Amino acid sequence: MRLSLQCLTRIQRLTSIQRLTQQRVNRLGILLALLAGLLLTGCAGDKSILDPAGQAARDVVMIWWVMLGFGTVVLVMVTVFWLSTFKRKEVARTPVEERRVARRWIVGGGIILPVASIIALLTFGVPTGQRMLTLPLSDPPEVIEVIGHQWWWEVRYPGAEGGEVVTANQLIMPAGEPIDFHVTGADVIHAFWVPRLGGKIDMVPGRINKIRLEADEPAVFGAQCAEFCGAQHAQMQLYVEAVERDEYDAWLTDRQTDELSSLATNEQQHEPAREAFMTHCASCHRVAGLSTAGEGPDLSDLGSRTSLGAGIMAMEEGAVTHWLQHHQRLKPGNKMPPHDDIDTATLASLGAWLESLTP
Amino acid sequence: MTIVMQRLHLTHPLHFVIGLTLWSAWFVTVYGGHAVACEVMPPDPEQGVFTLVNALLLMVSLAAVALLAALTVGCYRMSKHHAGRLSFNARVSAGLYLFSTFGVLFAAMPIIGIPPCL
Amino acid sequence: MTTINREVTPPGDLPENPQRLHNDLHEIWGNPRGLKALTIVNHTTLGLRFMVTGMVFFLIGGLLAMLVRTQLALSDQDFMTPDIYNQVTTMHGTVMMFLFAIPMLEGLAIYMIPKMIGARDLVCPRLTSLGYWCYLFGGIILTFSLVLEMAPNSGWFMYTPLSSSEYSPGLGSDFWLLGITFVEISALSAGVELVVSILRTRTQGMALHKMPLFAWYILAMALMIVVGFPPLILGSILLELERAAGMPFFDVAGGGDPILWQHLFWLFGHPEVYIIFLPAAGIVSTLIPVFAGRPIVGYGWVVFAIVTTGFISFGLWVHHMFTVGIPQLAQAFFSAASMLVAVPTAIQVFVWLATLWLGKPKMKLPMLWILGFLIIFVCGGLTGVMLALVPFNWQVHDTHFVVAHMHYVLVGGMFFPLIAGLYYWLPLFSGRMPSETLGKWGFWLTFIGFNTTFLIMHWTGLLGMPRRVYSYDAGMGWDIFNLISSVGGFIMSAGIAMVLLDFALHFRFGKPAKPNPWNADGLEWANSMPPSAYNFVSLPKIETRHPLWDDPDLPRTIAEGQHSLAVATHGRREMWGTDPLTGKVREIIHLPGNSWWPLFAAMALAVVCISLLTRLYPLAVIAVVVAGLFLLRWSWENGAHPKAAPDARVAPGDPPLHSRTMDGPGLWAMSITMLANGSFFLSYLFGWFYLWTVSPEWRMPEVSPLSLVGLLLAGGALTVGAGILEKMISGLRQQRDAGLSLGMFSISALGFVQVSITLWVLLSADLAVTENSHDAIIMVGLAYALFHGGLGAVLTLLQGLRVGYGYVGAHAPFEPAVVAQLWRYNVATFWIIVGALAVLPRVIGS
Repeated sequence: MRLSLQCLTRIQRLTSIQRLTQQRVNRLGILLALLAGLLLTGCAGDKSILDPAGQAARDVVMIWWVMLGFGTVVLVMVTVFWLSTFKRKEVARTPVEERRVARRWIVGGGIILPVASIIALLTFGVPTGQRMLTLPLSDPPEVIEVIGHQWWWEVRYPGAEGGEVVTANQLIMPAGEPIDFHVTGADVIHAFWVPRLGGKIDMVPGRINKIRLEADEPAVFGAQCAEFCGAQHAQMQLYVEAVERDEYDAWLTDRQTDELSSLATNEQQHEPAREAFMTHCASCHRVAGLSTAGEGPDLSDLGSRTSLGAGIMAMEEGAVTHWLQHHQRLKPGNKMPPHDDIDTATLASLGAWLESLTP
Repeated sequence: MTIVMQRLHLTHPLHFVIGLTLWSAWFVTVYGGHAVACEVMPPDPEQGVFTLVNALLLMVSLAAVALLAALTVGCYRMSKHHAGRLSFNARVSAGLYLFSTFGVLFAAMPIIGIPPCL
Repeated sequence: MTTINREVTPPGDLPENPQRLHNDLHEIWGNPRGLKALTIVNHTTLGLRFMVTGMVFFLIGGLLAMLVRTQLALSDQDFMTPDIYNQVTTMHGTVMMFLFAIPMLEGLAIYMIPKMIGARDLVCPRLTSLGYWCYLFGGIILTFSLVLEMAPNSGWFMYTPLSSSEYSPGLGSDFWLLGITFVEISALSAGVELVVSILRTRTQGMALHKMPLFAWYILAMALMIVVGFPPLILGSILLELERAAGMPFFDVAGGGDPILWQHLFWLFGHPEVYIIFLPAAGIVSTLIPVFAGRPIVGYGWVVFAIVTTGFISFGLWVHHMFTVGIPQLAQAFFSAASMLVAVPTAIQVFVWLATLWLGKPKMKLPMLWILGFLIIFVCGGLTGVMLALVPFNWQVHDTHFVVAHMHYVLVGGMFFPLIAGLYYWLPLFSGRMPSETLGKWGFWLTFIGFNTTFLIMHWTGLLGMPRRVYSYDAGMGWDIFNLISSVGGFIMSAGIAMVLLDFALHFRFGKPAKPNPWNADGLEWANSMPPSAYNFVSLPKIETRHPLWDDPDLPRTIAEGQHSLAVATHGRREMWGTDPLTGKVREIIHLPGNSWWPLFAAMALAVVCISLLTRLYPLAVIAVVVAGLFLLRWSWENGAHPKAAPDARVAPGDPPLHSRTMDGPGLWAMSITMLANGSFFLSYLFGWFYLWTVSPEWRMPEVSPLSLVGLLLAGGALTVGAGILEKMISGLRQQRDAGLSLGMFSISALGFVQVSITLWVLLSADLAVTENSHDAIIMVGLAYALFHGGLGAVLTLLQGLRVGYGYVGAHAPFEPAVVAQLWRYNVATFWIIVGALAVLPRVIGS
């Protein structure tokens, strides 16, 4: 677990602005360092199926290792048998004997082998699948809604005490309890997938699909859209963090509309930025207390997020301004229009204000 | 009619495809019927696997198994009555019917284990 | 064709001088040169054209793959922009699947099948030619989009709504939908004629259970094409209608459902994998006995496996859709079926193993590729079984694990056997042997390169790397594996380049091959090397599965004309039409000669395709009419027409010409075409019922907008017409053709009555086709009925005219029987349409 956190920090350092500005100084150097890092730490990245952090994912990894072992044995055996036929000494056989040998091979390898393997596989597989069903529980699990947009994530907490909480590109969930994710797509088909927690489910416009996932303990996970969804499919990342229950409740409380409104409006120094926001941004973006639009990502708690642009760059000082200036270069084709018509000072003030939105 | 029956004699290679066509028909019925049932009268998830939907699907499957098994036996017997081409046809048909029988049985197994509409 | 009316010479006791016979046959069958080479319909030439064109597209697809591997070699590359990258991956998949794999294998089948079953050509030679031109033109149109940087970019699977006009506004999706549909005409026509050729034109005595296994494989492949392609054609038409005319079949707001596209696509897409695999497995089953020096063990087992694979593969499509949110029980059915398909595959692997075990296998160059196939394909098969397991699938679906699996199955299951087969048959193509040295280098580089690329890619997928990403962040732990994959990809390219170099060089520098160089058993080696345009001077009687092993003298006796149909003086292209089961001779099939019409028709269709792309709809309508006229003109040169077989005399003792019977292969061709058509129609019905029951925002009017009275009247006219036609046919069966012409005209008139009433029903229904998917899909159903009614009416009209010209009648009763099949089909589908679209909604209600 700690290992993957280390990985995450490294990624964020690598995905920062500095990297973007002084890129490819020494490709080979980075590569060697990475290779060394890989071998030394054994870090498998925070999206690795092989590093499960929940029961569903753990079951699947278990199945995988068993299947890999079994498959390797079958492959090696078949190959060895085939190759051995080229080296074998000739044996004289009568046609009856030949038929018997042939039948043994065909029935043994062609029928018994696959049927036995399939049955073994299902014995493992079916109960695993059963456990992933969203069967009714005596204690109904918390519901979190995730909506895929081209190319960002809308996350809603309809069950939050005091009213629904909305955020974007970050998914905070309580650890140690099953969560039902209700997912859908706003435009095209996307897929919701937190590899370390379990399987994926498509986000289809017009339907609500459900998947139940559970994180063993507090940790940070990577997630990424898995269904090809257009130009920036590769840059549709989601930051997922499991926290203790009370921390989760507190996080939700901090994001109630009232709390967020005062956060957005109380600092007098940001008044020009707020005006610029209302002029240029409010028709698409929501900042609680100022606007309610939902075409683009919600920005009400932007400053507290770990990354920008659905994972394109890490959140750090000046990052929002940089993003506002160069977003079409950083993430070509994203749906936000270029801001060439807005002067740099305004963008900087907007950036500073948005960065201050930290509940 | 008699011509049709003669043509459809169990040694006719048309039986190569009848078994698996029945398998496909069964498959489409069960898959389609299941989808429609879940749309029209989804049972309460609390019921688990003991629902009308599962029962109906199971009955259709058992009927298909019975039919295919009968045809398997028929073709197998016929293969012993003939030699050469006709025996070959009946033998391969028997094998294909047998496979279809097990195909239905095997693909129907989840019906007894998985609640229908989740 | 100046030789048409020559007298038939009585068969002498002594064989004719072989050289003179050859010259005579060559005069009839030989290929013209120069511009007229475009008219060639011969299967040998067209098979080669298919294969060479396929190889060119393979190189294009391979180049695209190299671009992809270059982009992904390192993290955060911007070698290509995201949009270009998406175009490249989409086109890589599309080109490899539709423009390389299928046409290549079809080309091989077109080339080999007549030679293996002892025929002189395929049964519909002009159709072969049409297929080739459609393939070539469609392929050029599709690849041209790359040059324009307008290539489709929503993935080779074209999922809606991403591929819809809202999210893919350019012409990319249109290029895909129109180009692929155009190319599919080629696949379907090859599918139809391969089925009929295998069933009806095997040489005398070759009973079904004696035919070469390769023919069984191709028969299954062709039938699968015939049944499997129409769902995609329907899907493409619907999606293009949605894009061009705004009919909301896949749009939720309009009452459609994007998942319908996925069903239609994978209904085609999964069988497609086996359409590619089966012929390749056929190559393996042909080569292994030859190099093991003994007959294959378990011929019946292999037939069993082929039939099972063919069927089960249609029950697997949902395993590409395990994550779309289908109830788990439904997923379980498909999971089980997906695992079942492992059984026939394993049977084949062990039949091959047992054959080698019991034989004395020799490690020649083709065998090396077969071994490569075995290792790679078994590996791909094993990961396939893993993927069939739903919980595992949920994890690795849409990751590089699937990319790796898919390439193991397709490259292992298709490319390796293909190269094995090409090496094996090269001496037949050219009369020369390939180079062992270059060939071995090529093999090892390809094999090592392939596994370096794709074995490691399983791991990349397990580390969480999704498919179809143009870039990835450093530090995910994916960098090194991607780099290895890319290096492997370039090694593989070097290997393939070496193989192709070997192929190219051997035509000039290869050692001349001795007859039957591999000591094979198949009849194809009784051809001259390279083969003549007519394949066999005389058609032998074959009653064994291993003709050349049982009678090594066969090539000589065939060439000396000691067997049947060694007559050329009548000037016809002739071969046997035999009973599909027993191989007893039924009739002499006379084949049409070279023709411009297929090329002209394909060119007109290309104009249709381009004008639809550029939205010049009036031009499209004109081109459709022109293409139809060309096709009808082509059909005019049949039967007793002066360019076909005006003189029906045959040698004493020989059966009649097929056009003078009621049982020619054309009947079979029509039935198989109707099978394809039926698959299209069933897909349409599936779409209708699917949207009705599943679509989230389906809106059905209280009362069906279709006039039941009108539909009943139209159906009545159609049914009466079909009834009269049946009566005419039974008269022809008894040699009566009195009033045939008048009968045909009145049937045609009834057909036009049906069309007019149906059109009135459609127009008076006042459908809001752009607002409601219910109305749009009704519109498509009625358009289908209109098209078929119209086609039936036009064809009977032409039959009436042909009676007048004396091309059809009691002496040549064949064609009305063919047209009658269309009418029967029309009656059945029309009433089903009435029932499904107009009656059922009234009974059940919305």
